[in-house]
Order: sequence, then structure tokens, then C-alpha cells
Amino acid sequence: MSDKKLATGGRRTIAVAIAVLIIAFPLGYSIAGYLFAPGDPDGPPFLERPDPKYDSCVRETVFMRYHHWELLRSVREEVVRYGKRGDVGLSKCRDCHTSRERFCDKCHHATSLTPDCFDCHYYP
Amino acid sequence: MTVETDHKALADEAGARPGAPLTMVPSGGKNKRPIRIEPDLDFIRVLGKRAGDTFIRCFQCGTCSATCAISPDVEPFPRKEMSWASWGLKDLLLKDPDVWLCYQCHDCSTRCPRGARPGDVLAAVRQECIQDYSFPRFLARWVGQPQYIPLLLGIPALLLYLALIFKTPIENALGLAPEIGPRISFAYSSVFPHWLLNSFFFFFTGLMFLAAVVGIIRFWRAMKTSVAATVATAAPRSLPSSLVTVFRSIITHDKFSLCTAMSSRLWSHVSILFGFLALAVVTFWVITSGLNPVIRGDFVYPFSFWSPWKMLANIGGVAVLGGCLLMIYDRFRDRDRFSSGNYFDWSLLAALLLVILTGFITEILHYVRLEPHRHIAYFVHLVFVCGLLFYLPYSKLAHLIYRTTALVFAEYTGRGGPAGEMPETTGTAVSREPTAADGVAVEEASS
Repeated sequence: MSDKKLATGGRRTIAVAIAVLIIAFPLGYSIAGYLFAPGDPDGPPFLERPDPKYDSCVRETVFMRYHHWELLRSVREEVVRYGKRGDVGLSKCRDCHTSRERFCDKCHHATSLTPDCFDCHYYP
Repeated sequence: MTVETDHKALADEAGARPGAPLTMVPSGGKNKRPIRIEPDLDFIRVLGKRAGDTFIRCFQCGTCSATCAISPDVEPFPRKEMSWASWGLKDLLLKDPDVWLCYQCHDCSTRCPRGARPGDVLAAVRQECIQDYSFPRFLARWVGQPQYIPLLLGIPALLLYLALIFKTPIENALGLAPEIGPRISFAYSSVFPHWLLNSFFFFFTGLMFLAAVVGIIRFWRAMKTSVAATVATAAPRSLPSSLVTVFRSIITHDKFSLCTAMSSRLWSHVSILFGFLALAVVTFWVITSGLNPVIRGDFVYPFSFWSPWKMLANIGGVAVLGGCLLMIYDRFRDRDRFSSGNYFDWSLLAALLLVILTGFITEILHYVRLEPHRHIAYFVHLVFVCGLLFYLPYSKLAHLIYRTTALVFAEYTGRGGPAGEMPETTGTAVSREPTAADGVAVEEASS
């Protein structure tokens, strides 16, 4: 019985080491990222600053950050179903937020979201 | 045959006058002081309800203790606990650390010639321990009864709902700016602000910790007067050394792997423990993101599916889910040999499953961009997390604190034995003095 236990004891240590490595991997990854490619707090911001063509966006920044897609969806309903074309629209966004890659995609990629807007609408 | 008549028959057999208090006197050894026995019939009834009435069939053959791979050589369990249980000696059982050294591997239950299921009896005693030592006790009583589910989940649901309703006035009163920092962004924070979730969970988890500490102190004090505390089988260790030994034993599951009757229990418990460890690490990383000096760049939550953190959380969730499913399978696999569990056992498993499933549902609803469905799912998920976390000292999850305390106590008093290595029983058997727990003679108290 003790022979069996000695044999499994080594295996158990290895198994625990592997589990700890897996659990600690993201931490190590983040620390390595910090050490070798630190984000610069004074560098360019995560989201590209808009071209200051207008003073402000169509709604407050907080609202736009979390609910822009609901706004765009309601605008789509208005246009497609009732033919009402207002001031808000994806093509208008382009006026200030000139790059999809440096603005829209940043958050969408970071949260693994794939909105279908750009399947039809051209947005450079 | 009811439990009471059986107890009476036992008393008559021992030559006592019916109704007279019994006194147990050890026939030899140092301890000559008579021990007065006051059988707690209610406790016998409670044990019978939880572990099955079969436990009074025990005729003290000792097969259970002999077959148990982790029972110490001196005053081994579960034989003495079975004797105490038959006598309704609640006091002795509740302060007995040995009850918590058992991992309910069913080795003894499957080999018991009388079908008395000692493993189930010890589990029932552990449940009683949790309900007796926890603070406040009424919460433990609620957690143990199904009719309190709506109340237990309704309280955190209502509190969280109220907090969400009044978040804007609170934000204004405390001067908390809406989270629109250039770097850190939480996609759920339009409904569930980061500061609200953090303060809500920190407050109630803090209360839970205080309650757990009260339970630990009560339990430790009680264990000092237990029978097991007087019979060391190894040299006592210091407290830090005991803690290290127990920690090593827990993460390697060395005691679990000695189980022969139901070896799959090792895998289900390993999956759930390490799965939750992974989830806890990710959670800690997210909730402390505002203070974390390592995060200097952007931080967007929920993470991308391929982010190392998200991958770890998903692996952890799948591990817990798999472990839960294996546990459910084990409970139905062979209902004659293995225990299928009572409400106390099932409520923890159900809570684990609901937390994991609602978590995955929330994640999927996020990816398919369904609003407000993802927020509703997240709310339900948070309520179940509250249920699991805040009632930790009162549910079966309290084994986390009580078993660890008992294991540390066993090492501290020299009852644990060397970690991972069980002493060979053949050839090294020690001749032992009979002690009080043997209960070899029963006399009248008045004589």
C-alpha cells in the first residue's frame, strides 16, 4: 500500500503543479505584459479622440459608451419602417470618429462582440 | 420499532433501572471518574432522519474503523462515534474533531455488516455541528430547511434590487462620478456600476467572514475538551506547521485518493475546488482592477473570449460544472451502496450548479448582444452568488471552515499523523489502554 502511495505521490505533485500553473498563467501573462510592454498612461488613449468637428456627441459620453448601439438600432427602425431620417446615423458618426479600427473595433474586440452593422454599412 | 424503545432495551440489557440516569465507568486505565450519560433522544431522532434509521443497528464490531484508510490507530473513528450516536451523546459528537477527519468515502458504509452506514452518520453529525456552532444560529436553521429558500434568496435579491434602484441618488450623494475613465470600462456598468457591486459584496462578505470567525472560535474551544484531543498518535505540531500540512493535504487531496469504494469522488472534488480557485483568482483580478498597478493600459470588461483571464474563467466554470455533474451521477449511481444525500447536501450542489449555469448564460447572452436579457441573467447570477457566498458558514459549504479547523486541530494536537503517509497498521499496532470512549461498563449513577 505504501509503495502505491509513493508512486501516486509524485504524480499528484505534478498534477497539482500543472493546476497551479494553469491558474497562475493569466497573472504571469499580465505581469509579463506590464514588464515588457507596459501601457503608457500618458500615451495615446485606448479609444481614439474624435475629430473636433462638433463640440459634443449627440448624447452624453456615458450614454454613448454603453447605449450607442441601442440608439443606432432605434434610428434604424425609424428610417427603415417610417422613413424618418434624423440627425443621428452611422454615416454621421464617421464625421468625428474617423477610424473604425481605432475607435469602434477597440471595444468590440476587447469584449468579443461582433456587431453586424458593418456587414452592410461602409465604415473605413 | 422506534428509537426510544430501542434505547430502553439497551438500557435494560445493561442492567439499569428504566428511566434512571446511566453512568459509564471505564473498567481500567487512568480515568476512573464515572461519566454520566444523558441520552439526547431528540438528537437520535434527528440523526435517524438525516442518516437513515439504520444507524441504530450498529453492534460495535469495529469493521468501519478497521477498513477506514485515514482513521488513526488510537481511538479510531467511526466506531466510537457510532456508539455515541446510538446513545445520543450529542455533546461528545459535536466537539469531536474526528467527525471532520472523515471524507465520507463510503468505504466503511459499503463494508458495514449491519448496513448501519457510519459515513452517513458522521455526515449528519457534521451538519449538526455547522448548525450548532454557526452564528447566528437561526440562519443555519433556515439554510437547513427547504421552505426558507424564497426568504434566503429573496433577501439578497431585494437588497441588490434596492441598491440598483437608488444607485443614482447614492452616486450623487457620495459624489461618485459615473465610470467614464479613459482606460477602464465595464460593459455591464450602465446597470450594475462597479462601485455598487464591489461595496455590496465586500460588505456582506465581510459579515460572512465575521460569522465564520465566531464559528471557528466556538468550534476550537469545544474541540479542546474532546476525547480525541487527549489521545495523540504523533508528535504535536506548531500552529503554522499544522496550517502548512493541512493546506498541502487539501490541495493534493491525499486523503481523497485513499478512497476505494467511490474513487470518482476525488475527481469531482478536485474539479470543483480548482475550478472555483480559478474563478476566484479571475474575480479578484477584475474587482481590484481600479487599484491594480499592473493594469496601466486599457482594461475592458467583460474580457475578450481569447483573453487569458477569460479562458481561465471558462476553464474553471467548465471544471466546476463537470465536477457537479459527476457528483450528481455518483449520488444516483448505486443508491443501495452510496448515500444519495439529503436536502442539506443537495442545496449546496444546486447552488453551485445554478451559479455556474447562470454565469455561462450571462456570458452567452453578452456575446449574442441581447439586452436587457443579459442584465436580467446577470442579476439572477449575482443573487445565486450571494446565496452561495453569504450563507457559506451555514450551508454544507461550511465544511470549508469547520473541516479545515478540525484538520488543523488534529495536526496541532498530534492526531493527524504524517501528511500523506498513513502509518502501517500491521506489525506496528500499539497495545492501548482502555479509555472512557470504550464504554466497557455501565452502572447506576446512584450506586
